[in-house]
Amino acid sequence: MKQETVLEVKDLQTYFYSSEGVAKAVDGVSFTLQKGETLGIVGESGCGKSMTSLSLLRLVPSPPGKIIYGEILLNNTDILKLSDEELRKIRGNKISMIFQEPMTSLNPVLSVGEQIAESIRLHQGLSRKEAWQKAVDMIRLVGIPAPEKRAKQEPYQLSGGMRQRIMIAMALACTPDVLIADEPTTALDVTIQAQIIDIIQNLQKQLGMSIIFITHDLGVVAEICDKIAVMYAGQVVEEGTTESLFEKPLHPYTNGLIQSLPKLYEDQEELSTIHGTVPSPYNYPIGCRYAERCPFTTDLCREKQPELLTVEPEKKVRCWMYSNEWQGETHMKEMTV
Amino acid sequence: MTTKQQPLLEVNNLKQHFFLKKEKLFGPQQVVKAVDGVSFEILPGETLSIVGESGCGKSTTGRSILRLDEPTAGEVLLFGKNLVNMNKKELRAARKDIQIIFQDPYASLNPRRTIRKMLMEAMSIQKIVPPEQQEARMIELMSLVGLRPEYLERYPHEFSGGQRQRIGIARALAVNPKIIICDESVSALDVSIQAQILNLLKQLQKDLDLTFLFISHDLSVVRHISDRIMVMYLGKVVEIADKHSLFSQPHHPYTKALFSSIPVIDKHHRKERIILKGDLPSPLNPPTGCSFHTRCPFATDKCKAEVPALREISATHKVACHFAENLV
Repeated sequence: MKQETVLEVKDLQTYFYSSEGVAKAVDGVSFTLQKGETLGIVGESGCGKSMTSLSLLRLVPSPPGKIIYGEILLNNTDILKLSDEELRKIRGNKISMIFQEPMTSLNPVLSVGEQIAESIRLHQGLSRKEAWQKAVDMIRLVGIPAPEKRAKQEPYQLSGGMRQRIMIAMALACTPDVLIADEPTTALDVTIQAQIIDIIQNLQKQLGMSIIFITHDLGVVAEICDKIAVMYAGQVVEEGTTESLFEKPLHPYTNGLIQSLPKLYEDQEELSTIHGTVPSPYNYPIGCRYAERCPFTTDLCREKQPELLTVEPEKKVRCWMYSNEWQGETHMKEMTV
Repeated sequence: MTTKQQPLLEVNNLKQHFFLKKEKLFGPQQVVKAVDGVSFEILPGETLSIVGESGCGKSTTGRSILRLDEPTAGEVLLFGKNLVNMNKKELRAARKDIQIIFQDPYASLNPRRTIRKMLMEAMSIQKIVPPEQQEARMIELMSLVGLRPEYLERYPHEFSGGQRQRIGIARALAVNPKIIICDESVSALDVSIQAQILNLLKQLQKDLDLTFLFISHDLSVVRHISDRIMVMYLGKVVEIADKHSLFSQPHHPYTKALFSSIPVIDKHHRKERIILKGDLPSPLNPPTGCSFHTRCPFATDKCKAEVPALREISATHKVACHFAENLV
């Protein structure tokens, strides 16, 4: 199958300006997304994963936030150069987004059917009646029973899992090329999460869209993503196929993250941890941002920031250990996931 | 744990019903049976976990045990004494032995008090540490939970989430409790911090002979920390067993579906996913018979009509399903 790049992000930088200084929330993030592919962006709170996703749709609250540099190429058009009107034509049409908490993203006083129909009317120019019919079809597609009845209901009458399905129906109503899912299952219970993931995957197969899945849950990305970018302190620290990332993580942070998860099929006396905390985005160290917490840190790590190195095709890592300049220990703890 | 030990905490037929405001003057009284006849016991030094999805009553069970919400019926025996019919003074004295750590360390610490004041208050209410020893005890507590003693003078907003949870733990430990209820105590933390707190809890359990009632929705965390696990659904216990038996052989169809829904990293361990139909039924109008029958792939007419009893299928395993034996 010939690969076709749908979305390409180059050196994206989103900064926040406040009285405390400049917070580099997203600091030089690049990735590509192929047609039909699912990319996972993972990392812990404050790593910049959500700000990256908001930047893609230019939804960063401004002020205080600002995208100060970079390119976001959707089918070779730079989203950052579009006028507001051109942007509106793309949002919800070519690229759309679902959020963690559907209740805050839905209009509480409009029926859900109307909310879905609105975007269909605007983007596809269908009549009210046709758009309503399509909205009902979408609600059926995401597996909600009695769609005609549900379409007339307001968000408060639906359960959390159903609201998230409505969000998915709305996001997919115009068959976008790219769906950005920002922690779409985090607020849901596991059995409902399983339903939602199942629906997203089925629809992806039917509609052939590409997905960016943002989450802190490594289990979820392991199951649904083709490739994964791990973020730490505003940067991508490792990128690779899902299989390679979990079987042979290269970056000490990725390894630490995987190791600190309690195992479901093994007894452990103690969990391995990452000591220390994430550096403040207002004041990142000059060297590697993970140096303070890394068990392999050398003087080089503290003095100079590592580049994102391509170590194998489709495998990138931001760590001095994989460069020619490295003189420290090379033995990374054997993986036993 | 083969010999019969005296349980430290025994809960018998605990019920927590919330009565809603009537919609019409002569309309029916609506009742949410958040906890509906829950019984279990915890032995000294063990960790029992309650798992289940939102609204299953796991947190309410924890709160009712401490009488943070007054239970509607049932007994809570701590060292054989019933907490439910104690007066205020007795209850306060009894709470010395039973403490709770909440999910959100932001919401459960008073923002206007220093850590010193918080620990001091806990100690002076229970009058367990003579004033001249309080300072030493506070420093000891801080080191127990891995915080520096100079942090005593700081306010909660000066700490990170993981550190705040450590303060919550120090406050619970201040009165030398025998049992601690951890209500989703690590759910709000990032995995690397979560691992630190879980290690701390295990270490403290060893060093101080603590008993835990651990309430969580995260099954891998529960698998790690527990000796025994209790699964709840719509206010009732559906299965209770030691963790190895429960994870290797879950009997209740709900437990099976729950376990199969956990996303796992290692693909060799992935099970066939059982996707449940529909949502959790409304607790205002729970299904007849087995409350799980509306979503159960194996439900029969018997399940619609009869409430299954929680019955023993082996010495360490109880399950509330009419057909538990046939479904393995």
